Parts: sequence; structure tokens; C-alpha cells
Amino acid sequence: MATIHDEIDTWLAADLHGELSNKERSALHAHLVDCAACRKTHHETKTMNKILEETFAQEKPDPAFEQRMLAGFRNRIPQRSGLVKVLVDLMRLRATQIAAVAAALLGLVQIGRMITGEPVTAPRAPERYAQIEVGPPQAPESRPSQAGALERSGGISAGRPQDLALQPPAPPAAARSQFQKESKVSATTAEPAKAAQSEAGDVAALELRNNAAVREEATQSPVESPAPALANRKLIRNATVELEIVSFDNAVQKITAFANGEHGYVATTDSEKQANGKLKGQIVVKVLPENLDRFLQEIRSLGELKNQALGTEDVTKAYFDTDSRLKNAHVMEQRLIDMLKTKTGKVSDLLQVEKELGRVREEIEKMQGELKYWDSQVQFATVTISLAEKDMEEPAAFLLKERAQLSLYTPDVEKIYNEAKSLASPKVQITNAQLNREYSGRVSAQLSMLIAPEESDAVIGRIKGFGRVENFQTQTQRIAQGGSGMSENARTKRDKMELNITISREEQEQAFQQTSLRIRTSSVDEKAKELRTLAEKQGGRVRSSTFSRDPDGREVANVSLRVPLKNYPALMQSLDSLGKVQNVSVQRQDRTEAQVDESNAPADISIQVYSQGNIVTEESGLLATLRRTLAQSAGAIMWSLRMIGVAIAFLAPWVIAIVGVIWLARRVIRARRKP
Amino acid sequence: MDASESEQYEAAIHGDREAFEMIIRTHSRTLFAIAYGVLQNREEAEDVVQDSLVKAWKTRWRVRDAEKFLAWLATITRHRAHDIFRKRRAVSLSNETIEATESHTADTTAIDQQLHSALAALPELHRTALTLRYFEEMDYRTIENTLGLTNGALRGILGRALASMRKQLRPALASMD
Repeated sequence: MATIHDEIDTWLAADLHGELSNKERSALHAHLVDCAACRKTHHETKTMNKILEETFAQEKPDPAFEQRMLAGFRNRIPQRSGLVKVLVDLMRLRATQIAAVAAALLGLVQIGRMITGEPVTAPRAPERYAQIEVGPPQAPESRPSQAGALERSGGISAGRPQDLALQPPAPPAAARSQFQKESKVSATTAEPAKAAQSEAGDVAALELRNNAAVREEATQSPVESPAPALANRKLIRNATVELEIVSFDNAVQKITAFANGEHGYVATTDSEKQANGKLKGQIVVKVLPENLDRFLQEIRSLGELKNQALGTEDVTKAYFDTDSRLKNAHVMEQRLIDMLKTKTGKVSDLLQVEKELGRVREEIEKMQGELKYWDSQVQFATVTISLAEKDMEEPAAFLLKERAQLSLYTPDVEKIYNEAKSLASPKVQITNAQLNREYSGRVSAQLSMLIAPEESDAVIGRIKGFGRVENFQTQTQRIAQGGSGMSENARTKRDKMELNITISREEQEQAFQQTSLRIRTSSVDEKAKELRTLAEKQGGRVRSSTFSRDPDGREVANVSLRVPLKNYPALMQSLDSLGKVQNVSVQRQDRTEAQVDESNAPADISIQVYSQGNIVTEESGLLATLRRTLAQSAGAIMWSLRMIGVAIAFLAPWVIAIVGVIWLARRVIRARRKP
Repeated sequence: MDASESEQYEAAIHGDREAFEMIIRTHSRTLFAIAYGVLQNREEAEDVVQDSLVKAWKTRWRVRDAEKFLAWLATITRHRAHDIFRKRRAVSLSNETIEATESHTADTTAIDQQLHSALAALPELHRTALTLRYFEEMDYRTIENTLGLTNGALRGILGRALASMRKQLRPALASMD
């Protein structure tokens, strides 16, 4: 660590400037006492400090310095007026700059969208409308929103003033105006206001829903508590209710109990049993009008409410009309009676009076009956309840319809056709039978029959035994009767089976597996004959056979065989005994869609038997390679020989010419010397 | 730095003219000391302070951290002073300076002249530190803050500055005693 002595300058300066702690200062002074050199430095530094203080004191700015600075500043930066200043200050703020750049970018994007024709409205807008339109759930309450939608779409205000008048006036109107405003706003490009706008939309939706609730209450309240002013009016109230219930009888019992509880009675009941054992029916209940609403509430608990209608008929006027007419009629009656009592006038007049009296009385009775009827109607509200048990549509029974398709291959079509026809009996009815013979020798038959369900399996089994089944398909259809859907209890009945049979000759059948191979042998004809016997041993048949011999002594026999697939491996095995089997290729067609009796399915084998004769030998093996190599080298030698020949042919004329010239020249020279 | 001072800087950055003028009142002497440290000429130093204040006002929104407002002001002043200093040297080394010093010599003592040349020989940072100390009698801590120095660096700087002055002026000092 550096000592005080080493850093005396620093220590002294700090001391003079009053920047030493007490501890440091005492340490410094202790050192100064000890060290003469440092004492000298101390002295010098003190003087230096003093000089500096004095000098700088002279150079210090005068007291008016600050004022000068301020005045200069104010001179050069004049005070701006309020708005400009605020604007300028705003523009200098980083946040404002960023916002401005963002706004400019957004503006560019919008312009770009307008140019490219992309939809400019906020993407959330349509969703919101959907939400609003779905929002109010019940039909009558959703009208204002529909009206709003109409107004939005075409400006055709749906004229439903009476509906609107029923509802609390102000809020829906406000909501609608909000709708319109919003649609206008979204039609223009108001990107920055998007958030606010969507909020407004949500609020509108909410308000609408609230209004719907309010309105529901409003429509229900007059029903629940008829106004006292209506008390002496003659109102006929009736209701129809449609309910789906679990048990009809149970429901009837309960309804009777409810009706009794509400001082009413069950007027009529009728019920009807469906084919599937479900009951449905109608009950007419009379209850006191003031209890009607409670009664309806109670009924709802019985099952699922399908439909409900409530109606009120005001017969006040008619009632009181009839009533006053009745009173008049009574007066009339009395007067007529009085007339009879006085018995003055002619008999014919009396008879007339009597007749009139009868008519008046009849009228009175009629009117009285009418009033009574109305009284009863007014006194009791009529509730018509239609009840239907759940799963009304359940089928009563199922019919199982089976349809089968059978393809048979047989060597003798006609025989099988006749045999199949002989199966006909009351329980097996042949609806269609057809035998086709063509000039080409193709024979096929078609049969359609209806078989009683209990016989079907046996008959199909027998027919299958007639030949080789190539294809058998059954199709079962379950048909519900007297309803639709599923039922646990419905019986299932089997219907007659429809069977279509196609019989074809075996030859026409396509082979299940096709194999082609070659056999190399020395004696072709003999081996071909052997092959035929082999095939017959394996239950196969020769379909075609050819033999040919060409001038080179090459003999070729083509034999085509057909064997059942089960015998195919054995036959292939036995072919080895005939000669060298080559080029075996197998092609197989798997018919997945049909049921195939694989073991009996036909397999075709085409065999080419040929003599070794002049047929080119194998191109492989050591000898062949050697031979090829030799042939190639011989070829190469021949080629080079030819090239040499070419070269000679190319050079020879020149050589001959030069030699000729030289020979001539010599002859000339020699001839000149001689003389 | 106390909170009110910091608030003042904040207000000034956001365009509060009064706050800025308050800063001018309290700190222009410090800025003067810095400019003088570089230029050693009162008139020029005053102009530099004036220019720097105007520039600071115009570009105040560049300051992100209000705490560093004073150091930023100091930097502006120092750069401005450097510009002037360079210009002065470019115009003419001989004419003005010598004239100025000559005009000084006319009414100052020999020791003053020696002192000035010794000061001129100091590194600029040392000179600035000295001016801040002797003009404003600032404590070390404030000087360090103003000049953007780390804690404790000033002690060494001032020690060395005083020592080199002392060594240069030693003969004069001896004569003074």
C-alpha cells in the first residue's frame, strides 16, 4: 500500500481543500512532523493554494453573471405562445413521435387495403351482429332486434308499431339507434376507434338482453294479476297445452289432483293407444280463472312442454246486450200475460197473444241458456291438455328383409338350371327363370325366387351344392313399421327371402390364379402327352394344346390346363419330372369382395414345352464368360486388323507413287550417264 | 442529488421554462468554470456558457435520465468550449493569444504570467477540476458528479495538478517567501 510519503501531493491537496477525514488528517500531520521533505512540500503547496485562490478570485465571474446568462437566454429563446408551445413540446416527446409513426403506418395500411379492395371493416363486427341477433331467445321478444336488422339491411322499417307500443319504450329505441350508429361507423374506415366501437357493441348486446328480460316480465305480469277494473268484465279464458310425458295414466291422475286442488274439475278425457303401445290423448280441465296461471305452472312440471297457448275472449258486450234483451223480454212476457189475464178482445187476438207469448218465452229461454253458458265459461277457464307419451314415434315392429345373390359355375348349366327349377314348392316360389344360349356356345341361366324364411337356409345350402360358388352376397334390411328410430320392445319379423341365382359354365369363369412356365426338354411331343395325363390325374382339364416345329428343328408345344386350386401344388410338383422348369410366373387375382371357395377355384397353367435344339444357351456361368471373352478378343483383333487394312489402303497409293517417281528418276539419271 | 432537484430537471426536460431558468441561476457558474477551464478566457467562456444553455434548451428532450441532466449540460459546455478552442488555434496562434497574454502582462505581476502558462500546460481535465474547485469551492463529490468521474478519482487529479503547478512555479514561490 502506498504510504503518505509516496502520495504526499494528493494528501496535501485534499487537506487544503478540506476533504480529509479527521483520522486521515491526524495521520498526515503525524507524518509531517517526522518527514522534513514533506514538510517543505506542504509549505510550498500551501503557498501555491493561496496563489491559486487569489488568482481565481480575480477571474471569478461578477455577481451579475447569472442575470446576464438569463437575459441572453431569454433573448435568444423567446417565449412561445401557449398552443404552439404545447404542440412543439408534444412533438418532441418520444412517445408522441412513436404514436405519430404508428398512426402514419396504420393509415398507409388502410389506404393499401382500400386500394386492394379488401374488406375494411373491423373483422369482429359480423360476429357481434350474429351474437346480438341470437341474443334475445324467445320469439316475440326478438322482434325489436329483427326490426333493427331490417332497418340496417334495407332501411325498410318493419311496421310493427303495435308490438313496440307494448314494450317499455325508451331502452330498445336507444339500443336500435346504437345499432344504426354502429353499422354506419363500421361501414366507414374507423380503425383507431375499433376498440371503443366493439365495446359499444357489447354494451348494446347486453342492453338488448336486459330489455328482453324486462319485456318478458312485462308481458307476463298482466296475465298473472288481472287488473281490478277487469273484475266485473266477462272474460272467457282458455288455454291449450301440449305436453310430452312419460306415463299417460300417471299424468292424468296428477292433472286430476291439480285440478281438484285449484277448485276445478276434469271435464273430459280421451286417450288413444298407438300400435307401439304408447298412449296419447286429450284432457279438458276446468279451473277457476284466477287459478289458471298457477295451474298451468303446475302442469308444466309433469313433462316436457311442447306448446302452450293462452287466450282470452271478452264477451262483456254481448253478455250485457243479451242481459238487457232478456230483461226486455221479461217485461214483454209480463205484458202479454197481463193481456191474457184481462181476456178482452177476440179469440183470434187471444190466440195471437198466446202465440207471441210462446215465442217470447222461447227467446227468454234461449237467452237464459246463453247467459248461463257464458257464466259457466267465465266462471271456469278451459284448459285443453294434449298429452303424448315419450317416444311416440317408436316403431311397433321390424321387418327383416333379406336379399341374396348367388353366382354358380358348373360344367352343365342346363342340368343345374332344371334341378334348381325343380326346387319350386309352396314355400319356394320361382319368380323368374331364364336360360340363355348363344351362338358362341356360351350358356348361362338366371333364376329369381322367393323363399319362406324358415326354408331359406336349407334351399341356399342345396343350391350351393350344385356347383362351384363364385360369389354369394346377402343383404339384410331392417324396416321399421309404424314409426321410426329404435325400439327396445318391438318384435322383429323375418320376411320372405329374395334369391337371385346366376348359373354360368365353368369355362367362362375367370381363373383365380394364372401360371405360365416353360419346360425345356429333348422330346417335346412325348412330354406334352405326358403332361396331359398328369393333368387328368390331378382332376384338371386341358383347355388348349398346340404343337409346332420350325425348320431349325425347334419344337414348341403350348398346353393350357385348368385344375382346381387345391391340386395346383401337386401338379406343379409333378411337372419337375418332365424336364427343367423355367420362367415360372404366377399371377393371382384376389377377389376380396366375394366369397370364394378357394380350394375349388380354377387355376390356369400355360406351359410351353420346347426342345433344347437351337435355342440360345444360357448367358451365364464360367464357360459362357470365357466364351464371351474369347469372342470379344477375337472381335477386337479382327477390328484392329481391319484398321490396319484401312491404314495400308490409305498409305499404299502414296508409297507406290513415291516409289514410282524415285524409280523413274533413277532411270532418267542412269539414262543420262550412259551416253 | 435530492428529489426536488431531480424534479426540477424533469420539469425542464418537459419544457418547463421556469425550471430551466432556475437551473441557469444555480448552475451557470459551474458551467462557466468548466468553459474557463478549457479556454482560460472569461469573455469566451461566458459566450460558451450562453451558447450551451441555448443548445441545451433546444435539445433537452434528448435527455432520458433526469438524474444525468447536469452532467449532460457539462458535456455540452465542454464540447462547445473545445470547438471554440480549436477555432481559436486555427485562426491564429500568434495574434490573439499573445495579444491577450500581453494585455494581461501589462497589469499583472510576473508570477501571474507564470501561473497562467503553468495552468495552460496542465491537461485539460486537471485544469477544469482546478477551476471548479477554486471558482466554486465545490466539494470533491460534486465535482466528480459534474465531470462524470468515478468516486475518489478527483483526489489524485487535484493532487497531481497542484504538484505540477508547484514544481513549475517553484522559483517564484521561493522568491515569494
